[in-house]
Amino acid sequence: MKRLLKAAAAAAMLVASAGIAAAETQNVVWWDFLGGGDGVRMKALIADFNKEHPDIQIQATTLQWGVPFYTKVRTSAGVGEGPDVMTYHLSRVPIALSEGVLSPITDEDLANAGLKKEDFFPRAIEAASSDGQLYAVPFDIHAVILYYNRDLLKGTPYLDADGKLTGINNLDDFNKALQAMKDKGVEVPLSIATADVSGGTVWRAFYTLLSQQGGQLIVGNEVLPGDNEAKAVKAVKILADWRAADLIPEQTAYPASVALFSAGKAAFHFNGVWEVPTFTDLHKKGSLGDWSATVFPTLLDQPATWADSHSFAIPKEAGKETDPAKRKAVMEVIGWMEKHALRWADAGHIPAYLPVATSAEYKAMEPNAAYAPLAEHAAYDPRSTIAGVASPVYDAALNIIEPAIDGLLSPEDAVAQMKEQLQPLLN
Amino acid sequence: MAMLSNRRKSALVAYSLVAPFVICFVIFFVWPTIHVIQMSFTDAPLLGGGSWVGLANYKKLLSDKLFYTSIVNNGYFVLLTVIPTTIIALLIALMVNRLRGGLQAFVLVIFFLPYVLPVSVVTQIWLWMLDFQYGVLQPAIAFFTGKPVAVFRNPHWVMPMLAVVTIWWTNGFNVLLFIAGLRNISPELYEAAALDGATPRQRFWRVTWPLLWPVTALVLTLQLILQLKLFDQVYLTSAGGPFNSSYVLLLMLYREAFQLNHGGYGSAIALVLVVLIAVISVLQFQILRIRSAR
Repeated sequence: MKRLLKAAAAAAMLVASAGIAAAETQNVVWWDFLGGGDGVRMKALIADFNKEHPDIQIQATTLQWGVPFYTKVRTSAGVGEGPDVMTYHLSRVPIALSEGVLSPITDEDLANAGLKKEDFFPRAIEAASSDGQLYAVPFDIHAVILYYNRDLLKGTPYLDADGKLTGINNLDDFNKALQAMKDKGVEVPLSIATADVSGGTVWRAFYTLLSQQGGQLIVGNEVLPGDNEAKAVKAVKILADWRAADLIPEQTAYPASVALFSAGKAAFHFNGVWEVPTFTDLHKKGSLGDWSATVFPTLLDQPATWADSHSFAIPKEAGKETDPAKRKAVMEVIGWMEKHALRWADAGHIPAYLPVATSAEYKAMEPNAAYAPLAEHAAYDPRSTIAGVASPVYDAALNIIEPAIDGLLSPEDAVAQMKEQLQPLLN
Repeated sequence: MAMLSNRRKSALVAYSLVAPFVICFVIFFVWPTIHVIQMSFTDAPLLGGGSWVGLANYKKLLSDKLFYTSIVNNGYFVLLTVIPTTIIALLIALMVNRLRGGLQAFVLVIFFLPYVLPVSVVTQIWLWMLDFQYGVLQPAIAFFTGKPVAVFRNPHWVMPMLAVVTIWWTNGFNVLLFIAGLRNISPELYEAAALDGATPRQRFWRVTWPLLWPVTALVLTLQLILQLKLFDQVYLTSAGGPFNSSYVLLLMLYREAFQLNHGGYGSAIALVLVVLIAVISVLQFQILRIRSAR
């Protein structure tokens, strides 16, 4: 009985002290869509922040990536029930502005976070702004890169003395390299997720090749006007030709494309930076041999790589007064995250925050530092309400470009269909 | 006098008993429906008001090529599912009906099991079985076509395959309806028919089939309505592709409303779909009634 009383007293004290603590702390409701390996790293960052800040507690929820996330943000902000801070793709900024769901980030906000616009890659700031007004704080730049298997490439002219990829300066070089791998008996010269259910990988490949020709998907209110159409056809044709020559595998789902490279069956792998930790871990375990990654080579006229950014944004809540203390707490969270972005870089992403991206610690990270220069020629999705993550443009890649890669549709027909499908959405 | 107050009292009791339902129905069904109708004449986004645009949404819909593609695909899917699933369910029910006791219950459970699964599980199972590289069913496909086929990425295969998945998934419920119908047929009728020397075939066509017809008509109508509402399976497997060969009305509605934030246009699509389903199912039911009246 005595013991029971003691326990009850202890419990009561615990409740009371929790009550006092709750009265003093700012609770920051946080929503993100990071369900993969990077989600694990983000959760660790959040836990550390909470430990360091007794006065600010992040209450994080991870939601489903894509349309479900952005629909929920839009509807919840519309009735004033949104989060205090959320992750946001910069490619979604145009559509977000048309929906009016983002609260502008003022210079005062940035100062509260201990940040300045000049501290970020200009391309990321540009993607996060509209008419000079900032709407989100860029956190990273993530792009597509070219992974390569050194064990398979050994003995070819495509590796230099340091084991770095070399000698691929145009499409011809790359085709020759792929063909050389095939002739050598490598099962898959280039693994790429041609049957990616989100349409993402195909879109990234298509857009990279289009941008390398200086092509633009949307100009003003027109889809692929003028010679952009021919450039788009060329981009689709390059992908379809690789398939026809059996240089890329048929109908590869996203996980399968990763597995082909991690099993050492593919010489090259086209994918986003976010798979870097996967391969690093597998290499440590010994199941993947010697590998590295680099900027996707310039196959056409100019360097360009599809890129997007994760950023932090604050929803514009309908019918709700902003609480300055809360907003300050939110900005403190964002500032802390930016300054600890090195651990986010561990997930493969390039930190958008220059003091971290140019730090000696980051430059020592391999292969991260090797592909970091791509930030200079990052090609963000077209600034349009029909482009960006989980947009009609992604759907078109899945719906139209994918079958064209598999030869079910000619590149010309595919591009014509793409125009036909996307143009009415802009009118 | 006493009777009058009694009647009034019982009316009051009756009203109070139906009130919870009526109130819920009005709040959660009638009110949103009125809103959707109203919204379909505006350019409203998904949330918040819009301005009146008259019939513009409907005009836009009628000139939208994707709308006609969707209708054709919806029709194709109905053809692929409604009658086949009814026939298969009837055949299974006839076979299960011959079993007795525990065995019958066991077999019924097996056929009913897929129906219990959520659609995401169903599609995941089939995506695995039909996976282009590793799917266990690919050798079977390769046996007929000579090479594996990525069924949900092939314009010729996608709709028939969606039909197979859907029939596998929903058939159990139809079997159950048929079993109930078969149990309602008095065994004496079969006895009498057998005494008169009817062959098994005659017993089916002269006794079972006509007496089972109301159930068959019900199954056909329910299936028609259900299959016109095709969405989940498409969204989870092919996403409407390749090049729109599995694009259906509800997917169009979803994309317009939730991806593009066009609440008004989405409402118009929804209403057109409702009208289509109502007209087609009433028509079908009338035809089936004529058939049964004969």
